[in-house]
Amino acid sequence: MEYNGGSVIAMVGKDCVAIASDLRFGNQALGIASNFQRIFPVTDRTYVGLAGLGTDVTTLRERFRYRVNMYTIKEERDIEPQTFAHLVSSTLYEHRFGPYFVEPVIAGLENTSSGSKPFIAAADLIGCLNFAKDFVVAGTASSKLYGLAEGLWEPDLGPEDLFETISQTLLNGVDRDAFSGWGAVVHVITKDRVVTRTLKGRMD
Amino acid sequence: MSSFNPYTQNGGTILAIAGADFSVVAGDTRQSEGYNIQTRYAPKVFRLTDRAVLAVNGFAADGNMFVKKVKQRLEWYRHAHAKDMPLRSIARLIQTMLYSRRFFPYYVYNILGGIEEDGSGAVYSFDPVGSYERETCRAAGPAQSLLQPFLDNQIYFKNQQPAPGMSHPTHLPLQAVLALVIDSFTSATERHIEVGDGLEMYIILGKGRGLQGLEGVKGVQELTISEDGERIFVVRRELKKD
Repeated sequence: MEYNGGSVIAMVGKDCVAIASDLRFGNQALGIASNFQRIFPVTDRTYVGLAGLGTDVTTLRERFRYRVNMYTIKEERDIEPQTFAHLVSSTLYEHRFGPYFVEPVIAGLENTSSGSKPFIAAADLIGCLNFAKDFVVAGTASSKLYGLAEGLWEPDLGPEDLFETISQTLLNGVDRDAFSGWGAVVHVITKDRVVTRTLKGRMD
Repeated sequence: MSSFNPYTQNGGTILAIAGADFSVVAGDTRQSEGYNIQTRYAPKVFRLTDRAVLAVNGFAADGNMFVKKVKQRLEWYRHAHAKDMPLRSIARLIQTMLYSRRFFPYYVYNILGGIEEDGSGAVYSFDPVGSYERETCRAAGPAQSLLQPFLDNQIYFKNQQPAPGMSHPTHLPLQAVLALVIDSFTSATERHIEVGDGLEMYIILGKGRGLQGLEGVKGVQELTISEDGERIFVVRRELKKD
């Protein structure tokens, strides 16, 4: 995980979810790029973030795209975030004894009879899922993100407050991590739109 | 046969924050070895004088021995000079004591908090061989990685922009600092297995500055001995035991 660096976090709010990551792509201690996108849209209300080895991030993005497209064609509907989380899990577990070195984070809004419900999940590199009710973290700054999120997060934050909370958590977390940082991107998903903001961060 | 290892890690975490005219030094009271809890009450924070408090974290046996030796040196100083050693001198003393064991170190991270001769609140943090620095706040121990970025954000206001025409305060009031210390330890307890059981917060107040709202704090206990003017208090709180 320390080979390329990078961190991802997702948080639940009131009728919204947020997912964010840094933009660093490094080669151990050497910074290579500050525009490495590691969060990808799965549907228009589900996003996946992949922290870990850069080459596996790119490979898995394509694999997930393929499997989600097959699902959409067969089922003739968008995949639900929870279903996608299980798809991620089984894809990773197929490589139980020679895994992809990634820690995925999934954030989205589930369809329910009464509208939509926030959903977040994270998995380890062999696909063990963690369905948290509050927040999930992944990557080289995970311990810092846990400490910050535990202190800053509170239940039922609106989209704007959730954006501020996840941004402060990520920015302050990656500033204490040598392998993460170099800018950040935040997506806030609400029922009728997704707001994506690119944040300026410390460049050291 | 495997060789004898003289060191072990005993968990727990310590934290200190300096105010303009006060200082808060805190630590949890759990002592563990691996997955075993040795005791739920082993103090890591110690009163040295009425204006200096030392928190030690790492190898507990070394920590206790080190505090004992520092206290002994401070007593000798009192006998020789008929006064308590100033805080910055205690800091330098700790550096030389740690460095004297450069090739068989005390396996301990030290944080010294208290009041300087000019009346300002101060925190000094050390590495195990004596490299030290005066700071506004510092966390040390296994949960340092959880707490330090939180303090960067809440004490130094990192990544926060002040409102137009305003500026961030350089020091927070005592009530705000105590609230942050309690929140920090409850967070660390939630996510770190080596942190929990109990919390001890030592509060050192500068000369003639009043209680700054400390009188309203539940279970506060005064530990002041001398008549020098600085006052020292301890506040204890329960933390989760799981």
